[in-house]
Amino acid sequence: MKRWLPIFVACLLAASCAGSTSYEDVLPEIYPDYIGVTVPVGIAPLNFNLPEEYDRVLVRVTGSKGGELKVSGRWAAFPIKKWHRLTAQNAGGFLSFTVLGRKDGQWTQWRDFILYVSEAPLEDYGIVYRKIAPGYTTYSRIGLYQRDLHSFREEPIIESTLTPGQCVGCHTANATDPSQYMFHLRGKHGATLIQQDGEREWVTTRTDQTIGNVAYTYWHPGGRWFAGSINPVRQCFWTGDQRTIEVFDLASDLVVMDMNDHSLVVDPRFTTKDYLETSPAFTPDGKWLYFCKAKAFNVPQMVDSIRYDLVRSSFDEETGALGDIETIIPASKKGKSVSFPRPSYDGRWLMYNLADFSVFPIDHKEADLWLMDLETGETRPIDEVNSDFSESFHNWNSTSRWFLFCSRRDDGLYVQVYLSSIDADGHCTKPFVLPQENPRKYYHSTLYSFNVPDFTKRKISFDTRGVYGEVFSDERVQATVKE
Amino acid sequence: MWLYPQALSYQEQNQLFLFTWDYLGERLALPGGLADWLSEFLVQFFYLRWAGTLIMALLAVLMQRAVWRVLGKRNYLCSFIPSLLLLIYMGNVEVLLSYPVALLLSVWLCPLFLRAEWHRLWLIPLGWWLCGPVIVVPILLSALRGRKRADLLMLGWTALTFYAEYRLLAPQYPFRDALFGLNYYRLVESLPALQVIIPFVTLLCILVCGLPATFRKPFPAGIVALALLVAGTFIGVRISYDKDTHETLAYDWLIRHERYADVIKRAEKYQPHNPVSACSVNFCLFTQGQLNERLHEFYQCGTEGLILPSIRDNLSDITSEELLWMMGMPNITLQYCFDLQESIQNGRKSGRFMSRIAQCNIVNGWYERAERYLDMLEHSLFYRKWARGQKALIQNVDKVAADPVYAYIRSVRFRDDFITQYEALDLMMALLYSQNNRNFMAAQYYEAWQQLKSMEDAQ
Repeated sequence: MKRWLPIFVACLLAASCAGSTSYEDVLPEIYPDYIGVTVPVGIAPLNFNLPEEYDRVLVRVTGSKGGELKVSGRWAAFPIKKWHRLTAQNAGGFLSFTVLGRKDGQWTQWRDFILYVSEAPLEDYGIVYRKIAPGYTTYSRIGLYQRDLHSFREEPIIESTLTPGQCVGCHTANATDPSQYMFHLRGKHGATLIQQDGEREWVTTRTDQTIGNVAYTYWHPGGRWFAGSINPVRQCFWTGDQRTIEVFDLASDLVVMDMNDHSLVVDPRFTTKDYLETSPAFTPDGKWLYFCKAKAFNVPQMVDSIRYDLVRSSFDEETGALGDIETIIPASKKGKSVSFPRPSYDGRWLMYNLADFSVFPIDHKEADLWLMDLETGETRPIDEVNSDFSESFHNWNSTSRWFLFCSRRDDGLYVQVYLSSIDADGHCTKPFVLPQENPRKYYHSTLYSFNVPDFTKRKISFDTRGVYGEVFSDERVQATVKE
Repeated sequence: MWLYPQALSYQEQNQLFLFTWDYLGERLALPGGLADWLSEFLVQFFYLRWAGTLIMALLAVLMQRAVWRVLGKRNYLCSFIPSLLLLIYMGNVEVLLSYPVALLLSVWLCPLFLRAEWHRLWLIPLGWWLCGPVIVVPILLSALRGRKRADLLMLGWTALTFYAEYRLLAPQYPFRDALFGLNYYRLVESLPALQVIIPFVTLLCILVCGLPATFRKPFPAGIVALALLVAGTFIGVRISYDKDTHETLAYDWLIRHERYADVIKRAEKYQPHNPVSACSVNFCLFTQGQLNERLHEFYQCGTEGLILPSIRDNLSDITSEELLWMMGMPNITLQYCFDLQESIQNGRKSGRFMSRIAQCNIVNGWYERAERYLDMLEHSLFYRKWARGQKALIQNVDKVAADPVYAYIRSVRFRDDFITQYEALDLMMALLYSQNNRNFMAAQYYEAWQQLKSMEDAQ
């Protein structure tokens, strides 16, 4: 660090000697907006850019508990190891950023800004997500990726180039543990890949008594069961200039699968045509299954009448049977619709989406994240993280002190992943977008959205070659219906 | 290409070459990347028909010269065979230019491989990385000419380096695709036989060109050989060039350049019997004010031939998106264009479709989204000027509102926000006209829709 000091001082001196450094008592306009965010120790460096007209940036970062870091360049790019050391040194404190930018040979210094370093660790390896063009019915490239949260390293798990014509998606690990996970492959060779302790099996979850393959799934913490909703998904399109796409289910049912014998528990209460059930999620004690339920309407004509309530049923982990349905949030009565309930893994909170209608909040600008205190039943919008654009697809990290979610706040279309922390009282911190090496370049030039992100405790090991052979072999385990 | 130069436009609109280091890096990340990058650089000039024709002709000539020169400038006629085979093969419009470019680079490398001896140890992996599997031409040539133990070892080394490169650079691709070329053919899950045959025929031609002259007296044997070559090429081209496909591409090219009357003239002589051609001809009839009068003179296939439903390929919906845009349905246009672009099976983007996607975003007032596309187009050659103009335009909302194209679309589009349904397109057109009676396109299409529906019902 010391060797950078003379360079930094020399740069400052050169700038000041030129008599051209001006000071503006406003915060710098950095991209992404990392001002006032809270980060975990060891997160990838929060590199940032100044507006494009600035060709040079000088940054000095000072830790409240010590340490210093200086960088200069076309954008602020911090060396990973030094950044990690600085955040570790300042856990529970903050980092102060002094930023200077050069435009047309003139240097400007802005008011310093603060970035908080949380005491809550985020030790999970990283996150898993799908990248897909944010559009309509067709995609040329699609893939599942894992990203190390502590560096910028992103690795493909599987890309559509390997399995042409097949769609991959909805990766689900058991409470962030990659030793038990699944994802779906859709298309001619479609099936659900379930990998448990390195053993893979390809399961066809569609049976003659169910309306399709399971889509949205959630593992029971015990690992024997998973709940899944069956959603024949369709799209329709709006004519106005506020929105374009509406995603809806032609029907949707809820089933529970027993991994011991690949049998589905099909309860007629959850397979009626009159009601739609979707987005199941078990509580961490495995005793309750939360899901969303709505009255069915003719679609697409009456798609804006479909509003989901948050309900739950007790779960018998011996038989897989679901108990009575209890409405937890009667959102439909207030003209709202709940989707994607996600209980925290410590059993303290339940996060969900609330939109005006429908089940796919990502296309709803008004969709926000809400938080329910599972001890008191109180629920509130998480204003600390919500924006004027859609927030959706949230998930907890393994300790439940951090959560991630998708947001379209950057430009209203391309989805990015944001991370935020939550304290014991349920207060959340200002979120920060997933760091990138050169954020503006990355986020502005990508034609892909981040989709269904989730934390992964460890790096996922995946035998790509083996999977390729299995996909096209069409050897599948056929799910049955439990008697 | 001399028969259907419009295929050049099809190639151009299925890629978007960008002058950025990232773009180069993306191409070089895969085996065959240099050939791919070079070919895309060339294909961007297909935007101009004369430039595309010139490039294709130049490639054919360079290939002939390269084959002829490798071993000894003999048996002249034989050196034409690879170029002619490529001409035949490229009748399939999904063949990418990277294939002839890679083959040409490989033939050019032949003299180097023949002299390289042990330097082939690094030339083989390098060649594979830059050109892809057609690098087998110089590898096999040097092995056949050498016929030593070391040459056999080189073949083993080739297999080893290929596998290593595959695991290193293309693990997310099927082995077969990597083996036969990742960037030579646009469609996935298919491998035309000629793609495998042509490199071996090229190798054979190089060898034959190195043999003593076949015909001591060029006449009449040489003339017979020439006649056979011409006849073979002619037959090959006739078989390879699907008339309907190329005619449909011709319509698309003419519509892109607003030569609507020419489409009608072509259709009067010959019209492919497919919904895309019906849609194109009907659209051109509308532009000439003849839609409802002459509808029955041309091939029809029901209301689908008026406006196609969303089809998952990179060609069918082009005319539909064009007319839906003009009619005042920017959101369906956006959907169609997005799907057209995403249907390009080798994952490339399209300058043509991306421009329209940007326009749809601008008309909706989504300027930040539009800027993303415009920034990308700004790095291209032929869309740069337009993109810069649009970027300047969206800096000022009033200017966008005053722009004749955007102002018109905004004035004729739906005033209410509701769900669209293809089945109810006629009602939607009626609504458009009732909202704004300047939208006579909606009225004429509505009328034509009813006519075609009656015909369908009568059948």
